[in-house]
Amino acid sequence: MNYRTQQKITRICWIVGLCALAIPFVFPFLWMLSGALKGQTDVFASSSLVPAKIHWSNFSEVFAYQPFARQYFNSLYIAIVVTIATLFISSMAGYALARLRFGGSAFILLVLVSALMMPEEVTIIPNFFLMKELGLMNSHMPLILLPLFGSQGVMATFLMRQYFLALPKELEEAGRMDGLSRFGVYFKIALPLSKPALSAVGIITFLFSWNLFLEPLVFVNDIELFTLPLALANFTDTYGLPLWHLQLAATALAVIPMLIVYVLAQRQIVESFAMSGVKG
Amino acid sequence: MSAVRKGPSLSLKTREAITGWLFVSPILTGFLIFFVGPLIAVFYYSTTEWNLLSQQSRFVGMANYVDALTRNETFWDVLVNSLVFAAGLVPLNMAMALGLALALSKSRPGAVFFRTVFFAPVITSAVAWAIIWTFLLQHESGAVNQGLSIFGIDGPNWLHEPDWAMVSVIFTRVLKTVGLNMILYIAALQSIPRDYEEAARLEGANGWEIFRRITWPLLAPTTLVIMVITVVGSLKVFDHIYLMTGGGPQNGTMVLAFYIYEQGFKFFNTGYAAALAVVLFALILMLTIVQMLLKASRK
Amino acid sequence: MSDFVIKRLIYSAAISASLGFAANTAIAEELRFTVWTGSEAHLQMLGEIADSFTATHPDVTVRFDTIPFGDYVQKITLQMAGGNPPDLGWLLENSAPAFVEAGALADVAETLKSTDGYDYADFSQPAMGLWETSDATYGIPFSTSPFLIYFNKSLYDAADLETPDQRVKDGTWTWEQLRADAKDLRDASSGIWGFETFDGQGYGSRVWHTLVPIIRAYGGSAWEGDSCKLDSSLAAQAVQLFHDMVYADGSTVPPGEQGDFFSGNAALTMTQISRVSKLSEATFEWGLAPLPFGPAGDASTVGQAAVVAFAQGKHKELAAEFLAHMTNKENVAKMAAFFPPARKSVLEANSFLTSNAAVAPEQMTFVAQGIENGSVLPSHQRFPQIEAEARPNFDALWSKDADVPATLKKLCSSISPLL
Repeated sequence: MNYRTQQKITRICWIVGLCALAIPFVFPFLWMLSGALKGQTDVFASSSLVPAKIHWSNFSEVFAYQPFARQYFNSLYIAIVVTIATLFISSMAGYALARLRFGGSAFILLVLVSALMMPEEVTIIPNFFLMKELGLMNSHMPLILLPLFGSQGVMATFLMRQYFLALPKELEEAGRMDGLSRFGVYFKIALPLSKPALSAVGIITFLFSWNLFLEPLVFVNDIELFTLPLALANFTDTYGLPLWHLQLAATALAVIPMLIVYVLAQRQIVESFAMSGVKG
Repeated sequence: MSAVRKGPSLSLKTREAITGWLFVSPILTGFLIFFVGPLIAVFYYSTTEWNLLSQQSRFVGMANYVDALTRNETFWDVLVNSLVFAAGLVPLNMAMALGLALALSKSRPGAVFFRTVFFAPVITSAVAWAIIWTFLLQHESGAVNQGLSIFGIDGPNWLHEPDWAMVSVIFTRVLKTVGLNMILYIAALQSIPRDYEEAARLEGANGWEIFRRITWPLLAPTTLVIMVITVVGSLKVFDHIYLMTGGGPQNGTMVLAFYIYEQGFKFFNTGYAAALAVVLFALILMLTIVQMLLKASRK
Repeated sequence: MSDFVIKRLIYSAAISASLGFAANTAIAEELRFTVWTGSEAHLQMLGEIADSFTATHPDVTVRFDTIPFGDYVQKITLQMAGGNPPDLGWLLENSAPAFVEAGALADVAETLKSTDGYDYADFSQPAMGLWETSDATYGIPFSTSPFLIYFNKSLYDAADLETPDQRVKDGTWTWEQLRADAKDLRDASSGIWGFETFDGQGYGSRVWHTLVPIIRAYGGSAWEGDSCKLDSSLAAQAVQLFHDMVYADGSTVPPGEQGDFFSGNAALTMTQISRVSKLSEATFEWGLAPLPFGPAGDASTVGQAAVVAFAQGKHKELAAEFLAHMTNKENVAKMAAFFPPARKSVLEANSFLTSNAAVAPEQMTFVAQGIENGSVLPSHQRFPQIEAEARPNFDALWSKDADVPATLKKLCSSISPLL
């Protein structure tokens, strides 16, 4: 066996192995699509991936069943607000903790780092009563405030700080010479330099907000205020049994646009992680 | 220069300190209100017997803790479940992430495609992922068992037998999250200079030796971060449990995060739930400290 | 028209009434009313009742908020604790004592008794048991609904089996017979199950509903006073029967499987009369029968639900008035189409037997008899906690080689301290 055939065999093994591994990642999406197009009773009646009859009407019924467009919009705008606010607040704090010398900064850092890994379940009960006192129950504010200032915001601050620490100082010093204020240096020089970190942190934050489930479950009652995850869990018939075909159609509607965006941007996403040095 | 002239009464140092505090004040204020305050409150709540329905509470001291630690068998089951979940999820997730990253870090044709595939569940809503897998894991009509039956295997009732339910939840959670860790590993692998590997190859090292002596040590910081993220992620798992098993069967998948929610918001035992939250806090604080020590010892 | 209404968004129109006087009328008020049904037919009926309320209260709208059955109590509790309580809602019998005890329900006695033509004494005394004390009324049962067996007549006919309603006449309709029928009608190759539990939720949120009727037919009970009776040999016998149906016979839809009676995938199910609305588009013939007899004879079981006003509601007075409106004679007769009433005048009227267009009068008599003879499902002040303790023990029943008597013993030992 010469080197070439050996290479060829390795390569075939590589592809076959990865294909086999890919099955549990790809199949659920195919199954979801197929179920989304099936009628209510044949989701389980036939195990074939190809629907006996294609029910496009499932997709329109999703919107008739609950205000799904509104819920979609809710998730989207909350995730965008949380992402932008987190990027701003966390990068500012991260910059100060990396670059500015001030009494107490070491302590602040220590406190923040120890909260880095605290899940929201720890504080959800007091936060429930806090939001009640603030009159923010049954609104989107808890879904914006808690990620922003909880462990997710802390994580973002920490990652930004690490990135700023690794940036060369020379450009910023030049900016100071040109008479920029500290804020000016941060905003006009440091931020533009940290695009990879900003996009990596932005992606993580967006996904965090997009996936949020416990908070909406606890803080939101009105169906018009639901976010997508809540809405997806809410396709039940009269007596609480799932309406599988609608649930799957809605799931497909929730998943496919994200998949498309991801496929289009996947190179940039991977690169931003690579360059952001998200590694502590 | 101009900065000095504008503020004659303040020294440069003071100005920098003020700016620093201003920069951190937004997150600090929010953090105090929505994290530190509630954290203190949860310690207080944990010393009360508090019924969410009647909204009446009374001070009971350490009774909730005593109850959890000595009287309530469920608490220990839940704690063990949480650890089993983490112990099952973390190594599986990390080994798989590293394996995939090694296979996909070099830009061969097809690598980008497979990266996309393995990352796809990460950007899929966790609720959607859990819902789909609940269907796939049904006993007789589920696709998983139908697939297994092709090979003559009679699959278990995945989500309705305690041990298998745990396996199922761990497995689907790994599939959901492994992509992010894979990307982090790929990013780290790509930042390792090529020369190291080539130099080693010239000295006659084989693939395994290169991995063991060069790649793995250089990945150590990334491995630590990934481990921390994954351990914490495993301790806060909520949506998969809520949607796939509801903590059952026989509390077989009842983990701490979900138990807090149920006790606090479903069974009205708010004080007891707060005590559980304190336990979770202590557990994670311990992990944080261990991680900091590990990091310090590396330096 | 789509088959589906936008859930929770049925508003009754009251704006037209006040159009011309917009400047003078008070600000319109909205009552929020939580229910666990999403059935279009039910919501339409409720909407009509809300509409007729505008005759006396032109500026009031009622909004019916559907919460899935399994999450119902939890959701309304969260809403109350979060300072956003509904004004009114449905409440199930098993939650009643806990809610009354916690002071979560408003006392509506005065409003009801002062409403013209309400006739409070018309409500059957046993039905009111859970909802009133000597001087207060915390709710009015709108549904005192016996558990029934629905059967797929097409499947029975195809198998040439004697149908349950026939067997009722012969006096051979027993749980053993039901088990045998389910076994005969189970057809794995075409995905037909013999028996489906209550709404398919018989292993989760409706496990009591599944087991209690059988246990009672065998002469057992869940608990009496503060002593747990689930560990009795009678209860064990009953639960064993159901366990055998699921595992030994494989005739009953097991946990983790789907087999829906209403889509024709199960031959028999246990449920209530309100589910008839789900059969409007059924492609098969169906019929109703009472619960089978057991060794202890007839053990009709009734599930009860009441309309309540919440103590923390923002429009307490208005809510009480709407409660009075909803449960007056006319509206109770209207709701009787789905929800068997507790008003004697409605129940005894011949029109009750014909109130449901989909159900033949002789089958409706099963409902009437069930109400008369039935006893309400068990309830308790600490039901949520009992449920929490019981659930993992019930779960332990659902495996092939579960030791039923031992599991029930363990169940009793874990809920006994709470009783």
